[in-house]
Amino acid sequence: MPTVTIDGRALEVEAGTNLVDAALRVGIEIPHYCYHPRLSIVGQCRMCLVKIDGMGKLQTACSTQVFKDGMVVHVDHPEVKAGQEGVMEFLLINHPLDCPICDQAGECGLQDYSFKHGQSFSRFSFEDKRTYPEKERIPLGPNVLLNMNRCIQCTRCIRFTREISKTSELAFFERGAATEIGVFPGQPLDNELSTCVVDICPVGALTSTRFRFAERVWYLDKKPSLCTGCDVGCNVTLEHRLGAIKRYKPRFNPDVNDYWMCDYGRGTFERYKQLPRLAAPRVRRAGELTTVSWKDALDAAFNKLRVRGGSEGQPAILGSGFLTTEEAYLWSQLARQVGSPHRSVWVDSGPPRHIPNPQGGITGRDAAPNRRGAELAGLTPGDGGFDAEDLLVGDAAAQCSVLIVTDSDFGKAAHDPKVIERLRRAKTLIVLGWADTALAQAADIALPLATHAERDGTFVNAENRLQRFARAFPATGEARPAVEALRELLARFDTKFTADSAAAVFDLMAKQIPALAGLTYSSLPATGVVLRPTPSSPTVSGTDTTALGSAS
Amino acid sequence: MKFEPVLLKNINNPAVLTVKGYRDAGGYAGLAQSLKLEPDAITEEVKKSGLRGRGGAGFPCGMKWSFIPKGGNKPKYLVCNADESEPGTFKDRLLMERDPHSLIEGCAICCYAVGASTCYIYIRGEYTYAADVLEAALRDAYDAGILGHNVMGSGFKLDMYVHRGAGAYICGEETGMLESLEGKRGQPRVKPPFPAVVGAFGCPTVINNVETLCNVQHIVTRGAEWFKSIGTDERNTGPKLYAVSGHVERPGTYELPMGVTLQELIDICGGMYKGRELKAFIPGGASAPMLPATMRGIKMDFDTLAKAGSMLGSAAVMILDETTCMVRAAARLAKFFAHESCGQCTPCREGTNWAAIVLGRIEKGHGLATDMDLMLRMTQNMSGTTICALSDAAVGPARSVVVNFREEVEQHIKEQRCPLPQQRFFGNGAAN
Repeated sequence: MPTVTIDGRALEVEAGTNLVDAALRVGIEIPHYCYHPRLSIVGQCRMCLVKIDGMGKLQTACSTQVFKDGMVVHVDHPEVKAGQEGVMEFLLINHPLDCPICDQAGECGLQDYSFKHGQSFSRFSFEDKRTYPEKERIPLGPNVLLNMNRCIQCTRCIRFTREISKTSELAFFERGAATEIGVFPGQPLDNELSTCVVDICPVGALTSTRFRFAERVWYLDKKPSLCTGCDVGCNVTLEHRLGAIKRYKPRFNPDVNDYWMCDYGRGTFERYKQLPRLAAPRVRRAGELTTVSWKDALDAAFNKLRVRGGSEGQPAILGSGFLTTEEAYLWSQLARQVGSPHRSVWVDSGPPRHIPNPQGGITGRDAAPNRRGAELAGLTPGDGGFDAEDLLVGDAAAQCSVLIVTDSDFGKAAHDPKVIERLRRAKTLIVLGWADTALAQAADIALPLATHAERDGTFVNAENRLQRFARAFPATGEARPAVEALRELLARFDTKFTADSAAAVFDLMAKQIPALAGLTYSSLPATGVVLRPTPSSPTVSGTDTTALGSAS
Repeated sequence: MKFEPVLLKNINNPAVLTVKGYRDAGGYAGLAQSLKLEPDAITEEVKKSGLRGRGGAGFPCGMKWSFIPKGGNKPKYLVCNADESEPGTFKDRLLMERDPHSLIEGCAICCYAVGASTCYIYIRGEYTYAADVLEAALRDAYDAGILGHNVMGSGFKLDMYVHRGAGAYICGEETGMLESLEGKRGQPRVKPPFPAVVGAFGCPTVINNVETLCNVQHIVTRGAEWFKSIGTDERNTGPKLYAVSGHVERPGTYELPMGVTLQELIDICGGMYKGRELKAFIPGGASAPMLPATMRGIKMDFDTLAKAGSMLGSAAVMILDETTCMVRAAARLAKFFAHESCGQCTPCREGTNWAAIVLGRIEKGHGLATDMDLMLRMTQNMSGTTICALSDAAVGPARSVVVNFREEVEQHIKEQRCPLPQQRFFGNGAAN
């Protein structure tokens, strides 16, 4: 591998590595606008100029690849600094000074670099700035708005639509200082990934209609999380202010979503605003729903569950693809305690959502993130057990002593009065979830749970990749993470059961499920881990038996 | 000066528009002779002749051909750059309109030498008449068996097409031209890779100017030694077309040996317009920095002009007399480059526009005391920092007016008006 020296630091890189990437490996940031690791190299913003020994002019780092030994590059160099200042000046002369009302302020490449590499004065004092009249608010498509005055013509967005989304809606129009970005008549920027152009736009030219003016970015708390829109399992940065989620942005994971995510996924958090929140545990007493404490609610549930046998039938658990793997495992443990084979998961199938990545991409076909994880953890029907269809379409519910539905917004069926009526035929209906849906209203016992932003856990995506996500902020009101609630319920059956965190449950589960053998929660890699063998074949030992739990 | 024309010998003979007439005038002898030679021998001969590209950069032609990889699975292309859009240049047009077969012959020899079997003549969109003439000549050449599956019975296959541009100066830049040829927006590519390796449609491509290719047949028939005998020295050889415009009595295209002095050129053009004094001249098209009258004895060849801080470029010589306002001339040129910048590189997109604004306001009498300094620093930031040479070209006139005609610029700023009576040479209110 060739060796390159950057600012006195020598490093070995693979042949063909460009200088921006090479410098980053030794902690040197070469400023750039048009360069993006996944887009073709055009070398046109001229911000990444560096000095290379033996070359007269400054060279663009993005288009210079290391092939031979002995290249000596200077980034911290007076000539380079002068070049960067020159380019910054050119970029700023016609850029509007509207940072106070610009949505990008605070995460703007132009702000950052003019602070780091620019000059503190302007020589462009008496000239009129170039403007694009009537082009301050052009809807390029349903999700993206263009303010041409702020554009620095880096063409990242154009190249994105050509090379990543492969839809080619955007193009350069006009030329010279009048060059502008635009769409062709009748062909709006309307593809599944369109909002990604907002993420890669270094300035405030492209803004998201969803996030625009929702919050100043410096007030946002940013936490790593996962998208729950489908089973691709896009890594996201969840950005919220005091527990109110403002937006999802894709978080780089080369094995899953790369730098991208779909427009649908970005809007999934709005579900948390669309449905009312289930605020406190409720128990039906004498036909009336009464708010009770968690302890009372769990006692009530325990009392219903521990009644065994007889003509009343057995308890059944209807899970969903929104359960974490750990929660699904605990539910299967509960089923084991009460000796029920009726364990199932219902997941709506959604439209296929394809997210490109360097390996080709992942297509998600479920409308929930974790069907595979829930099934892996044991939520599959045992011998003679009812599956989800029996409960939702057939009248299996009527044969159940207790029917536990988790969660209250498990899919479209959860809002269908006919389905609710069918589920209601169970002797006792227990509903858990974050949303106060009609289904939760119909329940005998309703328990408020944390949303995925408020809890820890793992999801298994369409490629059987197990990925961890963490709580972004505490649950509101009485809502609790399901793992905590389940621990208390399980402890009523088995006093020795103490696993009360996702980590503890995962480690317990890893000992029993062969596919997870050798894994521990704390050592799961940041980009996730692919599970083998495939969890579609039931691999959970012990859960197929109807043997009684130790505390029964 | 007595000089037997080589390139322009047929232009007053309308018969050469047909293959027959061209053959009668001695044409296609170079191609016939070439087809009997080894391809490499032709490249070697062109190398020996010292022929340098006539499009502007002056790159040695034979060396360019030798960069084309030998063999390989990919097809090779010749693209003839007939996008003559440098302001002041009108030499290729004359060749194409009056002697199209000499270009076809030059292209065919080049294709044979580098192993290309397809040639595109990328012609400036506004040259509709020249395009028509070339199209007709191509049909004629196909009918006569000079192009097609069996070039002059040699078994060599060659197809030639005329491709019309859509009217952008930047498509005269070779990679911008390739983009345009491929049907994309005409904007230059990042180099490397150079067109000799990755050119048109991703294949090795030679790009040569019309005048360059028209020289090739004569090198083949008369030999490199003859070619070298014309010109200043070893590195500046051959006959050269000078397109003279501006304040001379008889502007036009003149064929002269490389390295004629400016004064000789003016004399050949009948002297200065109305006998006025020479003030400045642009030796090589709009991109070349302006030189003052004191340099009238300079030899008009590649190296001498480069040493003087300008360039031969396309040899479009613009003569400016004493009545010319240099600021106005520079402002007009700056406006041209601002209009023609493709807009991809930051320094060019923003800088050409800014230079046009600043020169425009100086010309109008609104210049600021800091403007000359601003021009120098701004042009410094624009030169050598972009993908193609358009930015450097724009720097040429903008910088040279401040360097070479500082007093006149100062006078504009101090007096807040143009010190010269307004001339209409560049048109009314053209610079703003």
